Amino acid sequence: MTNAIETRGLRYRPGKGFELSDLNLHVPAGSVYGFLGPNGSGKTTTIRLALGLLRPGAGHITVLGESMPENAPRVLARIGYVPEQPHLDPTLTVRELLRFQAAFYSTWDWPRAEQLLRQFQLDEDRLFGRLSKGQKAKLMILLALAQRGELLVLDEPTDGLDPVVRRDILAALLEYVSQGGATVFISSHLVHELERICDWVAVLDDGRLVTESPMERLKNGIKRLRVARPPADPRAAPFALLAREPANGEFETWVVRDWEPTMASYFDAAGATLEDVVDLDLEDAFVELLRTFRAPRS
Amino acid sequence: MFRAILYSQWKWSRLIVLLGSIAGFALPIISLQGAARADRNPLQTQELLRAVQSWGTLYPILATTLGLLVAIATWAPDHRGRHIHALSLPLPRWRYVLLRFAGGVTLLAGPIVAVLMGAVLATALATIPPGLQGYPLALALRFALAVLVAYAVFFAVSAGTTRTAGIILGVIATVIVVQIVAGVANIELDLWGKLAIVILNWPGPLAVFTGRWMLVDV
Repeated sequence: MTNAIETRGLRYRPGKGFELSDLNLHVPAGSVYGFLGPNGSGKTTTIRLALGLLRPGAGHITVLGESMPENAPRVLARIGYVPEQPHLDPTLTVRELLRFQAAFYSTWDWPRAEQLLRQFQLDEDRLFGRLSKGQKAKLMILLALAQRGELLVLDEPTDGLDPVVRRDILAALLEYVSQGGATVFISSHLVHELERICDWVAVLDDGRLVTESPMERLKNGIKRLRVARPPADPRAAPFALLAREPANGEFETWVVRDWEPTMASYFDAAGATLEDVVDLDLEDAFVELLRTFRAPRS
Repeated sequence: MFRAILYSQWKWSRLIVLLGSIAGFALPIISLQGAARADRNPLQTQELLRAVQSWGTLYPILATTLGLLVAIATWAPDHRGRHIHALSLPLPRWRYVLLRFAGGVTLLAGPIVAVLMGAVLATALATIPPGLQGYPLALALRFALAVLVAYAVFFAVSAGTTRTAGIILGVIATVIVVQIVAGVANIELDLWGKLAIVILNWPGPLAVFTGRWMLVDV
């Protein structure tokens, strides 16, 4: 499987306080790839680097098979991008913005744009500056979808929106993906939202990649274990131990990654007893991952 | 693409262009308003020249103002959006800048044509005393050049970041400070004057703004 976006050893340092370091991302073509991270973790910076809006300090970026930012104009013609903040000309009406955008994209799909205009119930004569937050978000998605890009890059597209608008946007997005097989790269800190739609997920924290894996593997592989008489040294364990905390008496609670049911035998061999295995949802997994990732430095 | 860019700039600049065109059309006519009489003697000719000359100082002011305002309006939508939309469009940056620049030049054609029409009309309606001649085309060409120079300078400054603007202001401030320090220390250094000569005298880049702007002259 080829990658729609690939970064190798990506570094970027915009100032003293923050650094994106050695970022290696692999966004499989045709996937819906969730890019998770707390606010300020570097998601928007990574997206801007991938689109050629910023120049990396070091490393390589390939988007749709072409090196970035050298080939940015050619690559951007194949990408629908929704930035974090709506940034369009506030003096243009919705209809004028559609015309403006259509002038720059040879793949612009007018019937699709008209259909989305009706579907989102946008007033085409209203100035962009007078639209509500939800209407602006819908228009941004409309513009990205009507471009018929092979890759959609969405930077927190539903952040701060009410559930109805969020659902409308995600529905339009999923419909687009099901029709054209496009790759979607969507950043968010709304874990539950990504859990519903993504088949791959990466977690970023403080400019560093915490993990990148298929959604199912991440969700199914992270467990909370209740262990009786746990071994003092778990280095021989076949899974990755993210956290261990003492519980009642001889018990400990372990949070592990890459768990498979057959690994229960490890505890028997180590003289311990596995009392319980609890599934974590993505939000719990996300929190545990971040807690472990931050622990050695704190 | 150009039409799309031009239209967005028109929405930001239309009031400036409209008012600039009215002022550009009116200025030559007002400057010759007293020249409609045929009974002028040499003294009145001198008066006419003085009037034309004093009104003429408004042309470079109008040109600079138009250049400044249209340049600001040209970049206004991009500055508002922190250039994100512009940078994410699928065309090289130099081409986008060129399209924006060309859009502004196209819009400035309005006031330039207005000055030409006003100047032609004013000289056609006025009774110009013997020995004097009207120069409507030359005046309009000079106005066009001044507008474009002002627009180009302010377009370049507006295109830059806050840091670039800071550097430019810093250089100007340094020159002023050096001049003041030299004055206090009784050092004979006319940095400001030398700089003005280089910039404002031919072939300096701003020479077009200086000198006499005469619609009617000998």
